Amino acid sequence: MRKTIGSTLVAAALGAFALAGAPREAKAQEIQITGPLAGAPAVRKLRLYREGRFEFSPGVSFTLLDEYRRTIIPGATLQYNLFEWLGLGVWGGYGVVSLTTDLTDQIDSTALRNSRTAPNLNHQGNAEPFKTAPFGDQTAKLTYFIAPQAQFVPLRGKLALFQKLFVDTDAYLHGGVMLVGVEERGNCGVDKSTPSCTDPKSFTRESRLAVAPTFGLGLSFYTSKIVSLRMEYRAFPFSWNRAGFDQRGGGTDGKFPNGITGNFKVDSEDRTFKFNQMFTVQAVISFPKPNVSE
Amino acid sequence: MAAAALVPGLALAQPGKKPPKPPPTAPTATGAGSDIEIDDPNQPKQPDTPPAGTGDPGAAGGGGICEIDPSACPKGQDINAAAKRDVAAEVYAVQQIYALRYHRFEVQPGWSFSLNDQFVSHLGPTLGINYYITNVLAVGLNGTFYQPFNSDSDFNFQNRRATRIAVPLTEYQWGANLNFTYVPMYGKFAGFSNFIFHYDAYVIGGVGALSTRPTPVIDPDNRNFSFKPKVAFNAGLGLRIFFNRWLALNLEIRDYIYNEQLENLQIAATQQQQQNPDTWFGENRITNAVQAQLGASIFFPFSWEYRLPK
Repeated sequence: MRKTIGSTLVAAALGAFALAGAPREAKAQEIQITGPLAGAPAVRKLRLYREGRFEFSPGVSFTLLDEYRRTIIPGATLQYNLFEWLGLGVWGGYGVVSLTTDLTDQIDSTALRNSRTAPNLNHQGNAEPFKTAPFGDQTAKLTYFIAPQAQFVPLRGKLALFQKLFVDTDAYLHGGVMLVGVEERGNCGVDKSTPSCTDPKSFTRESRLAVAPTFGLGLSFYTSKIVSLRMEYRAFPFSWNRAGFDQRGGGTDGKFPNGITGNFKVDSEDRTFKFNQMFTVQAVISFPKPNVSE
Repeated sequence: MAAAALVPGLALAQPGKKPPKPPPTAPTATGAGSDIEIDDPNQPKQPDTPPAGTGDPGAAGGGGICEIDPSACPKGQDINAAAKRDVAAEVYAVQQIYALRYHRFEVQPGWSFSLNDQFVSHLGPTLGINYYITNVLAVGLNGTFYQPFNSDSDFNFQNRRATRIAVPLTEYQWGANLNFTYVPMYGKFAGFSNFIFHYDAYVIGGVGALSTRPTPVIDPDNRNFSFKPKVAFNAGLGLRIFFNRWLALNLEIRDYIYNEQLENLQIAATQQQQQNPDTWFGENRITNAVQAQLGASIFFPFSWEYRLPK
């Protein structure tokens, strides 16, 4: 009984505190718009460029902030827009052009080929003096790209240029999964089936498939009802061995080259994370003709 | 504080002074030459029907102006001539732009970070102030303080260790620029077809100084560089997304172009030569430092009056 009274008093005290701390009355009111705008949508007679339309968007992409190689990727997106604000599709492309950066060229021309650099720099011959071989041949390439994705279009508006030229515009986010073909230096020094990392044959690139998340944002400029222009930023972060170096796997925490504590070894541990990015420009061909909202 | 002290009390939508509101006029006889204020509550009550005997055909169609000022009353031949006249259709495509910039100050606090340097990141707080001479053209100053925030990347270290060659690095101390801003683009977006926000895009360019020095990586035991300001030109693009008429999110990308003096890749033969600063510097190279800036745009004064009705 005493316990019950105590519990009741505690509960009453807590209730009193709660009441004292609470505002006396919560006030909120829906804004009542009267007149002809009552209940009206924010936008009327909106040209629905996306809803219920297919899109075929050929274009070209350029990788950004590359360390050793730049890739130029002709490609296309095929997409169906379920709603004005949501589309599902696939972007694909192939890295037709892969150019070495100035850093790659500088390393190629200035780095010495000797026993200290032999595991990391392409060379000819198995004993000193080594002859130079192109460093660019060991740097990794991005080949093909396939990205099933969704486009989410939260923003729709227009753009005025010099108060003369007006164009309907939307801004979108996209996200999905990207399958990337990577050509990077093959394993070496791992076991007897792989060459020694100082062997010139070890600098040969091998292909593999990398899976990465992909996301970004873009702008669509609707220059006509059928053809529009799209500019898009895309990130596709994943780990890869861009230079073909032995740079991880050794030391107490694996953050040092294997060569520091033992034999040089190049394998999957040498892949380092890179926030890969690209910029895309596309011409979008949409069909059938767009509708207009009420 | 300085910006706040310079802020005018009120920004006007159009050039020219706002005319003072005239006092109510005393009731006078209407006729040619007298001033009439249409909204004046002291106006004498006008007769509902025109006075008889005004046989001018134009007067019937002229309405109240014929009664207020008979000399301005249009005549039939005037209307025919006016119909043939070329029309100067000076109609603005967009009336009452949401966020006017004319004669307003803009303060841009933000954070700057480098976009195109894989070896050293140049970060820092930045502050800009612009004054809009017209609605689309501004002159301003901006500055960035980099010194405590330069950071050498892990990529640089990995590359150096594997290839046994060092890439000359540069450290930034500060940058200051005089800029001109031009705003050719603006627009609005509907979010989820529910709310509307406004944005504009601008180009910016100017000239200033960037204080830099090489980071000693080739011979750090002997070399100790001092900061030196260099002339830097800049050009860029920016985007503002307005939350209200005086506050916007600001994103800007700007290329600072300057002549960088790099560290000498060669080390002198003797200790005495190695300690001679004349042997420390290598080649000069035109450098493009592309910086992104994320921050806010705050416009002063906060409000204004439009000159023309919507």
